[in-house]
Amino acid sequence: MSIFTKTRTRNTRPRTGTIVRFVAVLMIAVVIFFPVYVSFLGALTSNGALVRDGIFPKLADFTLGNFRAAATSIPLAQEYLVSVGVVTLQTLAQLVTGALAAYAFVFPQWRWRKLAFGLVVITLAIPGESIVIPNYELVSSLGLRNTVLGVVLPFMAAGYPIFLMRQAFSAIPREVWEAARLDGAGDIRALFGIIIPLCRPQVINAILWSALAAWNGFFWPLLITDTASARTIQVGISQLASSEVGNPAIIFAGAVLVVVPTMILVIVAQRFLVNGLSRGVLR
Amino acid sequence: MPRNTPERTVRGWRGFGIGPWLVLPALVLLLVFYFWPLVRSLQLSGYASDIIGNPTRWVGLGNYVSLFTDPSFLYTVFISIVIALLGMALATASALAASVLLRGRLLGSGIFRVIFSLPFAYSAASASVVFAGLFAPSVGVLNVVLGAVGLNGPDWLSRPLPAIWAIAIATAWYEFGFSFLVLTAAVRDVPSEVVEAAQIDGANEFRLAARILIPIMRPSILFLVVTQTISGLQTFAQIQILTLGGPAGSTTTFVYRLYQLAFGNGTPDFGRASAVAIVLIIIVASITAIQFRLFRSEETA
Repeated sequence: MSIFTKTRTRNTRPRTGTIVRFVAVLMIAVVIFFPVYVSFLGALTSNGALVRDGIFPKLADFTLGNFRAAATSIPLAQEYLVSVGVVTLQTLAQLVTGALAAYAFVFPQWRWRKLAFGLVVITLAIPGESIVIPNYELVSSLGLRNTVLGVVLPFMAAGYPIFLMRQAFSAIPREVWEAARLDGAGDIRALFGIIIPLCRPQVINAILWSALAAWNGFFWPLLITDTASARTIQVGISQLASSEVGNPAIIFAGAVLVVVPTMILVIVAQRFLVNGLSRGVLR
Repeated sequence: MPRNTPERTVRGWRGFGIGPWLVLPALVLLLVFYFWPLVRSLQLSGYASDIIGNPTRWVGLGNYVSLFTDPSFLYTVFISIVIALLGMALATASALAASVLLRGRLLGSGIFRVIFSLPFAYSAASASVVFAGLFAPSVGVLNVVLGAVGLNGPDWLSRPLPAIWAIAIATAWYEFGFSFLVLTAAVRDVPSEVVEAAQIDGANEFRLAARILIPIMRPSILFLVVTQTISGLQTFAQIQILTLGGPAGSTTTFVYRLYQLAFGNGTPDFGRASAVAIVLIIIVASITAIQFRLFRSEETA
């Protein structure tokens, strides 16, 4: 089997073209893969092995000790649990508030529908990192600093999932909704029983985006928590990076632990994410 | 839109309709946590702050005047834009190359696709943590590898210029994943007849990419240029984890300065921090407005 899987009726030129293409792709792939490779390898080998033996280590270097060391340096397990809680709550909240809003923007006719949707679209243009001070004041005044609810509260609704689901719902023929309503289904039944099942791929896509954003949040959780009880794993590993400056192996162990769930998601749902992007991102 | 029975029933429901009630939860949350902060930031930016950060007396544009007469803030504006553009350009260009080169069949293209989407799994924070290990002085792996191929890597994080590059590289790497996914979707959406027609006309791979693919992918590229610039202007995790704004303030971007002013070690100054926020909001809003214009002219063209 050769790399020239393209069976065109041309002779030499496309072949050299394919080789050049392959080599170029390989070079980019080496650069992109390097941080992933080194961080996984570093996490799995004893500290200093990477510097001593280079990036192809000896079998004797392998160890799981770095994960244990990371877990004694920061309360990893607890922070992991907090992150799981934040992802669950935030994703669920965005799904419910988003699906209800998207439904209302597509099916029932009402007076300020356009205006309300305009407001949702505007939030997409507001830089999230720049509105933290008022949110900090507000969440603090509610006594929710240092709680999981405080981490989640400002993100219980988000413009992007609303936008994605509105797109999806708009593609459903109006007659489907009308038929459901004539059969006596209420709005909630029509939404969760008929509309959402019809748009399953796009709704799952919206859920994926909400979950990724929730897992990956950093600035807000850093500001609103000051003890481990509500600190997310992203904030945890950033503290690991500063407290273990001389021990890259332990830093890498933290990075590996935090990225494994999302990495599995990206590998499994890769095709799916691409599909969602081509339909979703650009109007 | 035709007005038929179910609609009218809904509309007639207590004369107002169910629509507003369904939107209410999302809208209230967005008004409280997105729109109110805009108003409040604007208000706060007009006040001086007491030692715990609370507003004390009205100073009008005083906070803005003190920011824009402070050379270190002007530098913040400059370096935020530089880092945003560098990160965006590196990420978009390399992702464009990767996605166009991977078009069609190629040995191992499945594996390459997975590798290229891996950075998408990282957050800005986790990517920065990885790069903290790579860039670390004396124990960092990057310079060991560069040394092995005969290159002398700088002491990345202790001098301004290498530190700026380090931030841009970490940012570009983490943005690459999203860019690749968007551009791969765009390549795939190029009609195959167009590509085949060009090949029959004898276009080689390079001409095919330059004359056919990239022009068709223009909206996606434009989208990335705008969104990655905007997210680059909000760079925070990379700074907090890699440089803490240093060395000597050389990587103090907008959001990091906001963070230092409002939540840093000194006395909190919500007034000036809010002025920084408003400046950033205005810049981002203008870029978004330009984007809408561009997209609109693209559609009508």
